[in-house]
Amino acid sequence: MALEKELETYKKKLPELAGSEGKFALVHGDEVVELFNTYEDALKEGYAKFKLDPFLVKQITVLEQIQYITRFVAPSIVPAT
Amino acid sequence: MPHFTLPITPAGPVMALYIGVSQAKRGVLTAAGLSIPPPILIKGLVDTGASGTCVDPAHIQQLGLTPTGTVPVLTPSTGATPHSANQYDVSIFIPGATQNHPVFSLQNVAVLESHLTAGQGIDALIGRDILAHCLLNYDGASGLFTIAY
Repeated sequence: MALEKELETYKKKLPELAGSEGKFALVHGDEVVELFNTYEDALKEGYAKFKLDPFLVKQITVLEQIQYITRFVAPSIVPAT
Repeated sequence: MPHFTLPITPAGPVMALYIGVSQAKRGVLTAAGLSIPPPILIKGLVDTGASGTCVDPAHIQQLGLTPTGTVPVLTPSTGATPHSANQYDVSIFIPGATQNHPVFSLQNVAVLESHLTAGQGIDALIGRDILAHCLLNYDGASGLFTIAY
């Protein structure tokens, strides 16, 4: 599964990131590299630092924001860990 | 304010848009001596019921994208339990009505991967994340919709 390690790192570090709710975390491997105010800034830094290596950009939310799609679609589901 | 007006089709407010590699990734591909896949022309349905923009996986693969995020998604096919879906960074360009109109573009935007094409005749749902950058007027009585940006 893509970004499995990064998601695990994010979940593990979420309690200490909770004070930065709304910011965007750049996560690579087992490290939360830096926090950014915008998705775009986190993405740019991710590519600048890690080039084509996988990295995760995740908005910090204690209660994760769900995306709603009312039309019938089949999301490409990421298997649960 | 630049704008364009299109007919509402039987499938709804559908329009052509280009999807490509994000600006942030283009620089890395160039520096690595790799070619940048050209943007793909797709058909998107303006969908105020979609909180995020969705793109069919066929086009994600065509652009050689790898995920940079995952988000929980609730849709009729997932039932009451949200499922995690991959998120990809892309650029989106919507051509203006004429050559004199500027292109509407978002250089680094996250889209969800969702199976849409089969039987639906569309490649993407243009969600409220993109509409947040526009003014949408849906004139059902005239059978027209307008996007201003």
